[in-house]
Amino acid sequence: MADRRTAVYGGGIVKLLRLVGVGFSMALRRSVAFRINLVFDVLLAFTGLGTAVAAVLIVFTRADSLAGWSKAEFLVLIGTYQLITGLRGTFIDPNLSWFPETGIRNGKLDGYLLQPASSLFLASLSLSSPLALIQFVLGIGVLGWGIAGQSLTAAGVVSWLVLVVAGLVVTWALSVLLACLAFWAPKLQLDVFFHSAWQLGRYPTDVFARPIRVVLTYVFPMALIASVPSAALLRGPQVGVLVGGVLAAVGAAVLAGAAWRAGLRRYTGATS
Amino acid sequence: MRTAVLLGFRLRQEVLEWSGAWWFLLTLVVQAVVAPLIGLFVWSAVYPDDPSIARYYVAVILVTLMTESFEQHTFSERIYDGTLSHELLRPQPVVIGVIGMNLAIRAWLTLLGAPVVVLTGFALRAGFDWSAVLRSTPYIVVAAVLVFLWTFLLALTAFWTDRVHAVVGFGSQLIFLFGGTAAPIGLLPDTWRRVAEVLPFYGMNGLPAEIAAGRRSGGGLGYQLIWVVVLVAVVTVVWRIGVRRYTAVGS
Repeated sequence: MADRRTAVYGGGIVKLLRLVGVGFSMALRRSVAFRINLVFDVLLAFTGLGTAVAAVLIVFTRADSLAGWSKAEFLVLIGTYQLITGLRGTFIDPNLSWFPETGIRNGKLDGYLLQPASSLFLASLSLSSPLALIQFVLGIGVLGWGIAGQSLTAAGVVSWLVLVVAGLVVTWALSVLLACLAFWAPKLQLDVFFHSAWQLGRYPTDVFARPIRVVLTYVFPMALIASVPSAALLRGPQVGVLVGGVLAAVGAAVLAGAAWRAGLRRYTGATS
Repeated sequence: MRTAVLLGFRLRQEVLEWSGAWWFLLTLVVQAVVAPLIGLFVWSAVYPDDPSIARYYVAVILVTLMTESFEQHTFSERIYDGTLSHELLRPQPVVIGVIGMNLAIRAWLTLLGAPVVVLTGFALRAGFDWSAVLRSTPYIVVAAVLVFLWTFLLALTAFWTDRVHAVVGFGSQLIFLFGGTAAPIGLLPDTWRRVAEVLPFYGMNGLPAEIAAGRRSGGGLGYQLIWVVVLVAVVTVVWRIGVRRYTAVGS
């Protein structure tokens, strides 16, 4: 049992962090070696965020508030969304996007299972895409633009931080859970739906019709990645929301770990 | 005539080939409808009493599905993996294969996306005037040609760069912003509206949707056709320069 635990969760946290650091450093050196690609990625990150901000600014030429959110509050929301999207694109997507194809069907998972570290860690966090951090930096810029002139409380900032971390954990756990489906149905590629639902996180859930709002709160909790942390930052923390966010993160992470273990028990390998 | 027969064969072949990939096609439908759906909810929240907003965005969803183009995947990858060489050796224009696949994917997307459009239309009581929908048909056809030309033009940059997805992604952002998905272009600030009315993107999406939704009675076909001519000319020139640059190694 203890061995199995080590196989799934791996050794100490420090060792795993060191592995992330080494992988990140390697990926960064690979990325900056291709300078034209770097320019393209930077430009696309700028135009992507510019388009998102422009779409919202157009709305505010016609209205003073949207679903109870002012223009500055919306910028905080977009900044937070972009920041988490950047972190997801840097640390989660390079590993779990197309996992059914790369991990299960092509048998890359076999390699992970043979390596002396947690298979869940290797499959979900070992690769990184440092250029996606540009989105993170731009997100901070928009966030700064949004909070300029707003009066923030220390408690609000702390709860924003806690909820952003909780949102990231839930994002990671959801990606793992969707990837785990591949153990049972290798052809099912549900993460595209997750990515599509992700787009809706850029807007407060109050904008959407009730059925979509329910999906965004309980199925793909996109509310947690931007709306909830931004509301905590701007309107002060609410204990219930904070506890709910942390519990959701812990619950989702535990569920992801359990699903991964169950999936591994079923997995029989794809390569020789 | 020979070209039309070849295109017909290619279309039939591609429709059959793609029929097995319904799950993948469904994911494309979902990706295509997300942006217009966001626009629909956002602008319905701004103008809750204007039913033409819902009608317009339901039409945008339909136009988007009918005009989607993926040449950065279907064509550019052939440049990257060198299989374009096989196409160049065939006694037929390369573009026939590209158009055949484009039309097959669009046909499947429209078929699979139709329930989404009908459901959204009924759920929002969009109340279309069917004569307006019929009137929009030629505009949708030309919009489909424009989107194809635009995407194919950007996909041709694969002859020079391996970042074609970034280039096409940028092109899609322009369609989103100036084409009428982010906002109906009548709601853009004046200067931007005037710019958007001149650029080709409005003709790719917003114009046919506005006619189908009855927000505009007609006009603008000439503007669309001028852009078709311009884009055909640019695509032809870029294709010629690109093919001269193209080299492949191996069998």
